[in-house]
Amino acid sequence: MTRATDDVIIRTVARVLIPFIQLFALYVIMHGHHSPGGGFQGGVILGASFILYLLTHGLEEAKARMSEAKAGLFSSFGLLIYSGIGLLCLIMGSNYLDYGKLSGILKVIPAQARSLGILGVEIGVGIAVMAVMFSIFFDITTGGDIPKDEEDLGEGDG
Amino acid sequence: MEVTILVQAIDKAFEILEKARSDEKARNEARELLYTSAKFTSETKFLAEKREARALLSGAQQTRLALRNFALTFFLLFAFWVLLSGRFDSFHFILGIICSVLVAYLSHDLLFLNVRLGDFRTRARRFFSAAPWFLSQIFRANLHVAYLALSPRLPVDPQIVRYKTKLESDISWVALANSITLTPGTITVDIREGEFFVHALDRKVAYDLNTGEMEDKIAHVLMEADHVYIQDVLDVSRIFGALK
Repeated sequence: MTRATDDVIIRTVARVLIPFIQLFALYVIMHGHHSPGGGFQGGVILGASFILYLLTHGLEEAKARMSEAKAGLFSSFGLLIYSGIGLLCLIMGSNYLDYGKLSGILKVIPAQARSLGILGVEIGVGIAVMAVMFSIFFDITTGGDIPKDEEDLGEGDG
Repeated sequence: MEVTILVQAIDKAFEILEKARSDEKARNEARELLYTSAKFTSETKFLAEKREARALLSGAQQTRLALRNFALTFFLLFAFWVLLSGRFDSFHFILGIICSVLVAYLSHDLLFLNVRLGDFRTRARRFFSAAPWFLSQIFRANLHVAYLALSPRLPVDPQIVRYKTKLESDISWVALANSITLTPGTITVDIREGEFFVHALDRKVAYDLNTGEMEDKIAHVLMEADHVYIQDVLDVSRIFGALK
């Protein structure tokens, strides 16, 4: 499963579609308050795009695009954004994740500040979910250890 | 890029040969260069080979290629965003620009892998002029398959056709395979080593496939037919070798 697929059609169509899948994922994250979606859903789609790349183009190239270390960093980064916004609200003198108080920094009315605050939290959630989905899939396919070369994997159907 | 590589390789080879005509090492070097560049353009275009071939471009050309890919990907993605979002206020536009830039940065080398510098407008123009022909083919094939399906004795003669193609890059293969599948009566089952295995519904449909018209149209749109022919390069090198 971690070899690049032999099928030209699958490989080419996947590489052409992946940017659009990623943009759709970001659209789902950003429009969470207008249409179905939000942070988690967009994060899953974004992670799925990287998983698709791994399935069709093989382990080496997927690792070049998003290594395990980067995935770990991104998951922590997403969490940092989430809790950072909450802490910021705390610092501004109100409850944890009470976005209304952010209107002091952002110079908008409290309702707008709440909208922007939840958007920021959703972005953090999306990043974290993307990284974790990819990490889980990566660990499952490699079984925890990275093969030195592809022949160790034996015969797969590509 | 294939033509650029070939032309550059020919120039370099002539340079080497001109500097040291009688030097055996230089002649071998020039010959090696020409054979390598011919190999790059004639073999199937897998990703790793493309990257090696891109290394033959000069640094400035590589940057231009990367920037061109980035810009085109950005515009396509932003158009897609506007289509999805349907909201034209500045907040969502700014979000769209940021997201398109991010995705274009992450994936700009995926979308336009095989397109040579300066080709895009020609390909777009030829695509829009060839699209009506494809639609008419689909329409005619629809009528034919409807006739087959509705006649009482069901005169189908299913067969698998092995179709050898002259197209070279993976996008061309996929475009041809998808066009064949989209046309009623034929389905591309597999592609192995440049041969298409197509399941055709009856002999007329297989015959239409074998005339190669669809392949010619796709080669024209994707500018495959504009290649320098490999055999000419090898002939040139042989002639030059014989002139000494």
